[in-house]
Amino acid sequence: MKILALLKRVPDTEAKILINQEGTGIKDEGIKYVINTYDEYAVEEGLRLKEKTGGTSTVTVVCAGPEEATELIRTALAMGADDAVHVCDKALERPDPFVIAAVLAKAIKAEGFDIIFCGKQAIDDDMGQIQSILAEMLDIPQVNVATAFELAADAKRATVRRRVEGGDEKVETSLPVIVSCEKGLNDPRYASLPGIMKAKKKEIRKKTLADLGFAQAPGDARSTILRWLPPQKSSGCTMVKAEETRDAVKELVRLLREEAKVV
Amino acid sequence: MTIQGIVFLVLFLAVLAVFGLIVRLLYRILRAAKPENRFDRWGDRIKAVLVYVCAQARVLAKPAGLGHFVIFWGFIFITIGTLDHMLGQVIPGFGLERIVGRRLGSAFILLQDVFGILVIGALAVAAVRRFVQKPERLKIDDPAAPRQAALILALIFVLILFMYGLKGTEILEGSARLTKTNAPVSFSVAEMMRGWHMNVPLANDVFSWGHNLVIFFFLLFIPFSKHIHILGAIPNVFFRNLGRPGSLSHMNFEDESAEKFGVSELGDFTWKQTMDLCACTECGRCQVACPAHATQKPLSPFRVIHRLRAQLMRDKGGLLAKGSDVLKPAPLIPETVSEDEIWACTTCGACMQECPTFIEHVQKIVDLRRFLVLTESRFPAEIQPVFKNMEVNYNPWAIGYSSRADWAAGLGVPLASEKRSFDVLFWVGCSGSFDQRAQKVSRSVVRLMQMAGIDFAILGTEEMCCGETARRMGNEYLAQTQIQANIETLKKYKFNRIVTACPHGLNTFLVEYPQFGLSVPVVHHSEFLLGLLSKDALKARRIETLRGAYHDSCYLGRYNGVIREPRALLSRAARHVAEFGRRGRSSFCCGAGGGRMWMEETLGSRINEDRARELLGLGVDHVFTACPFCLTMFEDALKTLGREDVHALDIAEVLLEACSQ
Ligand SMILES: Cc1cc2nc3c(=O)[nH]c(=O)nc-3n(C[C@H](O)[C@H](O)[C@H](O)COP(=O)(O)OP(=O)(O)OC[C@H]3O[C@@H](n4cnc5c(N)ncnc54)[C@H](O)[C@@H]3O)c2cc1C
Ligand code: SF4
Ligand code: SF4
Repeated sequence: MKILALLKRVPDTEAKILINQEGTGIKDEGIKYVINTYDEYAVEEGLRLKEKTGGTSTVTVVCAGPEEATELIRTALAMGADDAVHVCDKALERPDPFVIAAVLAKAIKAEGFDIIFCGKQAIDDDMGQIQSILAEMLDIPQVNVATAFELAADAKRATVRRRVEGGDEKVETSLPVIVSCEKGLNDPRYASLPGIMKAKKKEIRKKTLADLGFAQAPGDARSTILRWLPPQKSSGCTMVKAEETRDAVKELVRLLREEAKVV
Repeated sequence: MTIQGIVFLVLFLAVLAVFGLIVRLLYRILRAAKPENRFDRWGDRIKAVLVYVCAQARVLAKPAGLGHFVIFWGFIFITIGTLDHMLGQVIPGFGLERIVGRRLGSAFILLQDVFGILVIGALAVAAVRRFVQKPERLKIDDPAAPRQAALILALIFVLILFMYGLKGTEILEGSARLTKTNAPVSFSVAEMMRGWHMNVPLANDVFSWGHNLVIFFFLLFIPFSKHIHILGAIPNVFFRNLGRPGSLSHMNFEDESAEKFGVSELGDFTWKQTMDLCACTECGRCQVACPAHATQKPLSPFRVIHRLRAQLMRDKGGLLAKGSDVLKPAPLIPETVSEDEIWACTTCGACMQECPTFIEHVQKIVDLRRFLVLTESRFPAEIQPVFKNMEVNYNPWAIGYSSRADWAAGLGVPLASEKRSFDVLFWVGCSGSFDQRAQKVSRSVVRLMQMAGIDFAILGTEEMCCGETARRMGNEYLAQTQIQANIETLKKYKFNRIVTACPHGLNTFLVEYPQFGLSVPVVHHSEFLLGLLSKDALKARRIETLRGAYHDSCYLGRYNGVIREPRALLSRAARHVAEFGRRGRSSFCCGAGGGRMWMEETLGSRINEDRARELLGLGVDHVFTACPFCLTMFEDALKTLGREDVHALDIAEVLLEACSQ
């Protein structure tokens, strides 16, 4: 079984995000990049499926991102993925989801697959579109926001539990399928040292757009970000000051009730 | 030679041969173990044997040790006497006094005679302690252990009875070498036996053979009981760790095809670690000192060593198989040592401080952690975010690394990257940088340095976690990444020494960074600030109303011997009025070491509350600390105990107050 896991490089959630002078993106200095949290669930789910199906199953990581993403791809390989495809091209600097999906779709088609796991959204721009556009482009079903995944015995169908407003939904799907992963699906593993050592020798297939068969940069972006704006300063927060914790709590409850009117 | 002499000789040689085979096997076990260099500083090693074996310095640190002292020396005198007697059976007319001369021989006979009685006294005390009093420290979960102890005590007792019987009959037969002055006890025994009207030559033979058989049994039984320590303890003291005890072994990650890291089976230990197992006297001193054991957690260092030795005795079988030079590869986790035990350790080092035979428990526990973390990636769930935070943001908390120096905003603290060359590098550490309470300590240190006009700087956002915590949590790979990155940064700047308010950083810079090629002078802020006081660079006026007790941090006091300095500093700044019962090198852990700071304490009661209760018993309203972890642990404990009227203050905060009056 050929399992793909999509991986996006995103700024660490703890990083201090500052918008650049031109308003076209964020300042890079002081930012640490990590694997998109939801993509860690995707990689882990891929590994678990591989372990369950055994035999010739493989997990291939697919990432579109800058050169520096290699380090994160290695992390996924250290967790146990077998190899990776890294689409790395200067022309992809600030793409919109449609362009990225088009690029990923080409790479994925070339790779072949039985199932694709991805994150339910990337925690940087929170678009959550890629999986859906990909499903269209690849002409396969999609199941989003998965919290449980079970492959049927015949390996041709799968049952997915997904979180919806106020409850859970159980979906049955045929394979191949793209499943976007939600927190709670699994606990991603911490790479072992032998895993890290082996990852150094695993293959990362670097691809440019030309390699994927794009004659020129896929310019049919459906959206363009004109300007990034910092979030509006909130009206500010009130520090409740008191000597004793007990008094502070009393004051807080009073404020919540009388000023904010939320309790 | 008599028939008896021949029978004895044959038996004696047979027993000796078997004993030799056993000792050879033990040697092969050590040979099969991993290498470790303990072959330096021979002079210091011989000294260690004189002090800790001959003079029994650590054994005598506890009152019950006197009994061991007596049995130890009694055993030596009796063994020499035994050899004398045995050789006498083989070589007619043989006698010690022939070799060493009449006077020395006679003096020796007296020693033996007197020690016999003393040993019987010590045995009686030991039996009462073991079987009547049953103190906490001797408690063990292996039912075979007390049976073995009883057997050994009984055997020594019987041996001494036979010895006196033998000498008594010798006197009745009209011995020339035994007199009333050099064998008073034996003479009384002889007098007593005279009344029994027995067949003296026959009795002499019976006592002689009884004596022989007990010794034979002893030789064959020793290697399979805790009395293996008779063989193991002396070399173990000789090969003890002569450096500071706070350093862990360096792991080499160059072999990229390695499939296993850390220790998962006995064969992964070094020969010295294996020898440790054969040196345990089962005195249980480590057990009573252990904070995990004191708070009802499953860990007891004594029991860990005991079970490891038991497994060694079982698994040595593998070595017996022909052509084999390895121990049977049997996993240690979870049967021999459970994961709960492995993670309960605070690496406080109290066990190693107490151990009379210098067994090194912490390295073994960390080696087991290394296996779990590095090889198996198996550890309590709450640790994973800690590792990830260290990897991404270089601190154990989920706080962006770019805010590492935010605590210093507005204080005019220079950055190393601006100054390049300066006198003192203030190593702030993760707590001092991110923990709100510890940030106050960092600010106090900075204020004091500014008052004293010190030329200093901090690394700011270039500083990374020092690696101490990751190392003790078994994540050597992460620790080495951090250590190497820090060394690269430190090498960029010129400075004379590091000052830090964190004993964990202090310890790792002192004893671990040199393993990676960086040796810089580093002092704890207590030493540094005391120096400023002595030079009058700081002027303190004692705050008479500030009354408290000083708590020794494990990594400052026990591991690095900084005990006097914080007290001297406090005596000039406040009223250091009380001392904990457990203090100095015998201090009791706050519960935060070894990564426990970031783990949940779900088993047993809480270590910090145990310590806080001890504080409350002292009746003071402040505890003075010199470690950011201790500070947090005390504050938390005092809060949960509902004693927010008692406060924890770092010594730097106290001094700043005293200097600002
Ligand atoms: C619960 C939910 C409700 C939504 N409701 C609406 C709505 O009401 N209206 C609407 O218009 N849209 C809606 N969306 C869609 C959503 O806002 C965006 O379509 C979408 O989140 C994603 O774009 P992104 O760039 O952030 O990357 P995402 O699309 O968030 O990324 C999703 C996943 O795609 C993969 N991926 C992304 N980039 C790369 C890359 N460079 N390389 C490899 N893999 C990559 C990763 O696995 C990633 O986790 C919803 C989405 C969700 C999950
Ligand atoms: S280091 Fe401390 S906690 Fe660990 S076993 Fe020894 S005494 Fe117990
Ligand atoms: S390890 Fe040391 S302190 Fe602990 S029981 Fe054995 S000899 Fe005693």
